[in-house]
Amino acid sequence: MKNNTVDPITLQVISGALDTIAEEMGHVLYRMSFSSIIRESQDLGAGLFDANYQTICESESTPMHIGSIPAYLRGAEQTLQDGEWHEGDVIVHNHPYYGSSHTPDLAIIIPIFYQGELVGFSGNTAHHIDIGAATPGLIIDVGDVYAEGMLFAGLKLYEKGVRNEGLAKMITANSRASNQLMRDIEAQVASAKLGVKRFKELIDRYGKGVTFSAIEQLINYSEKMLRQRIQEVPDGEYRAEGFLDDDGRNRENRLPVVVTVKVEGDSVVVDLTGSAPQTPTAYNVPFEGSCKVAAYAAFRKLLLDACSLEVPIPSNEGSFKPISVVAPKGSIFNPNFPAAAEARFTQCNRMIDLIIKALSPVLPDKVIAGSSASISFASYAGMKEDGDYWVFLEVNEGAYGGRPKSDGPDSIDNLMANTRNNPIEDLGMHLPMICDRYELRDDVMPGAGKHRGGIGVVKSQRVLTPGFITHESERHYDVPWGAFGGKDGAVGKTEIYNYSDSKSIKEMPSKFSGYVTKAGDVMAYYSPCGGGFGDPLERSAEKVREDVLDDFCTVEHAYEVYGVVLDADLRVDVGATEKRRQAAS
Amino acid sequence: MARIGVDVGGTNTDLILETSDNDSVGKGIYQHKVPSTTDDQSVAVMQGIIEICEKARINKNEIDHIVHGTTVATNISIEHNGAEVGMLTTKGFRDILHIGRHKRPHNFSLHFDVPWQTSPLVKRRNRIPISERVLPPNGDVETPLDEEEVKAAAEKLKREGVKSVIIGFLYSFLNRDHEIRAKEIVKSIMPDAYVCCSCEVVDAMREYERFSTTAMNAYIGPKTSYYLKHLESELKEQGIHADLRLMQSNGGVATIDSCCEKPVNILMSGPAGGVIGGHYFANLDGEKNIITVDIGGTSADISTLSDGGIKIMNPRDSYVGGHPVMVPMIDLITIGAGGGSVAYVDEAGGFQVGPRSAGSMPGPACYNRGGTEPTVTDANIVLGRLDPDQMLGGDLQVDPALSIEAIREKVAEPLGLSVKDAALGIIKIINNNMALAIRSNSVAKGVDPRDYVLMPFGGAGPVHGPALAEEMNAKAVLCPPAPGITSAAGLLTTNLQYEATRSLLCDLDTISKNDFEKAIVYVNELEEEVTGKLRDDGVDDAHINLIRLAECRYHGQGFELRADVPAGELDQDKLATVIENFHRTHEADYGYRFNDAAVELVTLRVIGTSESKKLTWDTLKEASVDDLKEALMYERKTTFDDGEELLTPRYNRSLLGAGQVIEGPAMLMQHDSTSLVPPGWVAKISAHGNLIISK
Repeated sequence: MKNNTVDPITLQVISGALDTIAEEMGHVLYRMSFSSIIRESQDLGAGLFDANYQTICESESTPMHIGSIPAYLRGAEQTLQDGEWHEGDVIVHNHPYYGSSHTPDLAIIIPIFYQGELVGFSGNTAHHIDIGAATPGLIIDVGDVYAEGMLFAGLKLYEKGVRNEGLAKMITANSRASNQLMRDIEAQVASAKLGVKRFKELIDRYGKGVTFSAIEQLINYSEKMLRQRIQEVPDGEYRAEGFLDDDGRNRENRLPVVVTVKVEGDSVVVDLTGSAPQTPTAYNVPFEGSCKVAAYAAFRKLLLDACSLEVPIPSNEGSFKPISVVAPKGSIFNPNFPAAAEARFTQCNRMIDLIIKALSPVLPDKVIAGSSASISFASYAGMKEDGDYWVFLEVNEGAYGGRPKSDGPDSIDNLMANTRNNPIEDLGMHLPMICDRYELRDDVMPGAGKHRGGIGVVKSQRVLTPGFITHESERHYDVPWGAFGGKDGAVGKTEIYNYSDSKSIKEMPSKFSGYVTKAGDVMAYYSPCGGGFGDPLERSAEKVREDVLDDFCTVEHAYEVYGVVLDADLRVDVGATEKRRQAAS
Repeated sequence: MARIGVDVGGTNTDLILETSDNDSVGKGIYQHKVPSTTDDQSVAVMQGIIEICEKARINKNEIDHIVHGTTVATNISIEHNGAEVGMLTTKGFRDILHIGRHKRPHNFSLHFDVPWQTSPLVKRRNRIPISERVLPPNGDVETPLDEEEVKAAAEKLKREGVKSVIIGFLYSFLNRDHEIRAKEIVKSIMPDAYVCCSCEVVDAMREYERFSTTAMNAYIGPKTSYYLKHLESELKEQGIHADLRLMQSNGGVATIDSCCEKPVNILMSGPAGGVIGGHYFANLDGEKNIITVDIGGTSADISTLSDGGIKIMNPRDSYVGGHPVMVPMIDLITIGAGGGSVAYVDEAGGFQVGPRSAGSMPGPACYNRGGTEPTVTDANIVLGRLDPDQMLGGDLQVDPALSIEAIREKVAEPLGLSVKDAALGIIKIINNNMALAIRSNSVAKGVDPRDYVLMPFGGAGPVHGPALAEEMNAKAVLCPPAPGITSAAGLLTTNLQYEATRSLLCDLDTISKNDFEKAIVYVNELEEEVTGKLRDDGVDDAHINLIRLAECRYHGQGFELRADVPAGELDQDKLATVIENFHRTHEADYGYRFNDAAVELVTLRVIGTSESKKLTWDTLKEASVDDLKEALMYERKTTFDDGEELLTPRYNRSLLGAGQVIEGPAMLMQHDSTSLVPPGWVAKISAHGNLIISK
């Protein structure tokens, strides 16, 4: 079977069919699910995997999930209930020390049997709003992984097709949002079942031999494409470092992140040695399910940029193989059991940002300036009149750094994040919350440059009933870097005040857990702005003027940093601009 | 009853005239083609209408109906030359259109473009925040509309020369008073401006999608409605009092007034006619799985039709130029590849064909209208696949020497190729570009082209058919009887169709008396709205067909599915039926139903249609023994894909009957189109005159 090459037409058809299966699985999951973090934000992943846990195909949902499921599968194998896969089994798994991305991302996995033989797996992961952790929704300031809520390891929700009602009851009894949790799990099961059905249809049509030969060829193709690109990067060690605000409890303790990229031939090692030791809170990164996945994503963005490829590469195991990751045991990127590790996103995003920075001397036309490289993950919760909890998880966006040929995009999910926002109107119709502001930041300027950094967002959410807010964010201190003469961006900030008294503002740290709110409390999140790329004096005066007209830039900033002089009617004073720019350079 | 279908393409404007026994000239079908006038499409449309009447010797005032497929709205969105739009929006939310859904177009990219930021429909400088606040879930007013701010905003926009304004306030689907009042004020200050409210364009929850759809409407509105009104008055001036109708993106037709109000409904008007036409002709011979490729001078429109159906995209999935546009549209893609696509060598020495087109002015080099760049048509001339003396049946004078010269100078010499090899290269590249696009609309969605018939049409389609089918591995090629006017013919095969929606969020299982009464009123209003439009079109009530839909979801979900609403006034029983219909649809689509979950109504939709008279395409006479001999025009040399030059007979397709078999190499000649049958392929003419070419 291995020596048979599949003809190019069949290969393309199978490749297209696999992509479509993964997309369809993702569609069913987010269209059918109940919590906004899945249905609107699409914080999920779905795909097919072979019997050796290699990714065959994966949906284009959010990058943090893409590439994580093989680790879940390996972890599930080690912990599998009765040690064996049976036809009709449905597994639920989320143990971060057995491969999960983090505890709220539950995987549903169904083994695929074809004519009695195990040929692969259909699976998906989705972020659930509450699995019974110490505080509603998200969690940061806790002492160990047991405080993160229910841990599932290789558990069978269905055994040989029969639903395990005891397990279902146990899940329902241990969540503050049990209706949504159980229904979203059903949506995951429906999605995984669809994957099984479609994959079997594909094998029916093309035969097992041809199907798996094609899959192997497609994996090899993706691997070869990435190796060729790595080969073009000069061999060497490239290093960059930055720091994180705090661990969510010890406010004065900054946490270093050190990234060394070792390029050798057509392989890459990302070495995180020198980064902070593991923290006593949940601000740690599960190594298998998150840390490695982020490194894979970094190189796919940098070297196989979807916009510069004429033909997209298939999304499969091949793009993971050339990359290995080293993080010392006991460090923030590879904690020891039972350290908590729920809040892991911002560390991953910073790692990617620093990989880009490290490679900037050798890839000047591929890298971009510093991005927000953070996230704002907020959990709002409260009690309904009937005594049930409501929980809302919101992902807020960041901004990109300036780029070699264009400005950094404004107010958009950054690097490893790519969710969709929850429509303000949908939120207001269903929860006791009101959005008071959703706009570009106007309190700071983004990093100036020939190509400016992206402008961050400000989002103000008001809660109408008393409750709790937990917020996982970053970058209140370490400014996004400017590249090749571009200026640094701006740090983020988070404020809480009451709607009745918007003058008494409380400045919040980037991470806080279980903050008790009164009715009418507003949390205003300001995301970091990207750094600039290239000398601002080289930005065309007309572009600077356009930015001023659109209030992306003030007249003063145009003068001070860009050296552009505008008259009272906001026209460029060419002579004065030339003089000012000469003086400034 | 005489009816004209007129379809405007990037290069040519195609027309079909169908007359009936009641008309002075008797029953018949006539075709015509004139060069498109890109600055003002109506010039060619008028010229074409007058000329086709002359051709048919029918008096212009006998024309009852004209159905028009136009690319006016599409071109504005592609060329990004719409109106400077102003927006009044809720204070605190100036950047909804800039932020969108904050999701990047690509997961794995650093250098991606964000079209809603780099090519905004409303620039930030023209988005003016207004103090006002409507609150969910009941639409109560927290902050009244600040009318002074509205006035000041309108005056500012007026000063800036803005001619098109949208009002987009949060929660206007719950309470439209502020939007409507703001519109009145804006209208009073800017009486000539094109002004629309988001609740009027698409009454649905989700602010970004609603504002974006409204912004697109206003962006294309002024130019599109100017064009349509202008065309209407031109027709009247010429003494043509026919009803003018437009093809909409959803495949139904509508009146001028409704399209001026909601031009967003005709963004895909042009390509929709092609898909409908392809569907019509394939259906005559019972072909259910087809890939339509409508190749004109400038672009190619591609759609995949499975099991005999035309696929309409869910409005939630519809995007135009990267902007969400929540209106129903036929699922199709358009690429810049056609007979006029220009071949050139780029700065890095790469051999490129398209997407730039020479259009009709200057047109291909051989047209001798001043064009010096070689096009796909020039390559076909050089290869003997198009005969210079047979272009538009000889009506179009072309000079093959100019084709050779252009290819030599611009492509062959810079690349060190012979003229023949350069011409073969042009064809190969353009075919490959089209094949990639066809794949993205078929193979990439898991469709196996080996089960499909490739249907090339448009003037330039059939000459590329076999090569494309080979590249795609389609099972055969089907060239419709009149390839050049397939789109225009499609315009005469579809129904009048109007849709209206109203947003109403409530749980159906526990619906309050108040909401239940609202639902009854809304359904009645929506029915009246679409019925009214159909009546305005002169449709009798007896011929109106209404489809009533409740777009529902389980409470807490984010995506709606459509449940049928039984006819007649809503009552408790019908409500129970709606709930059960929703459960069933959910189970059919996702394989699961949540019996214990509440069913939430989100939007009520009524679709009204009226069967129009359909084009009748008669069967062909049976082929007889001598047909081929009589149809033989002459033999000339033609170069095929492997570079082989063969003496190839040309047949007059109009003289061939049903059941005729033609072995390749051969060319079948028509007034505006040439079908190529390569060596090793066989063509067969079907009962209705479709040409089926296979290996």
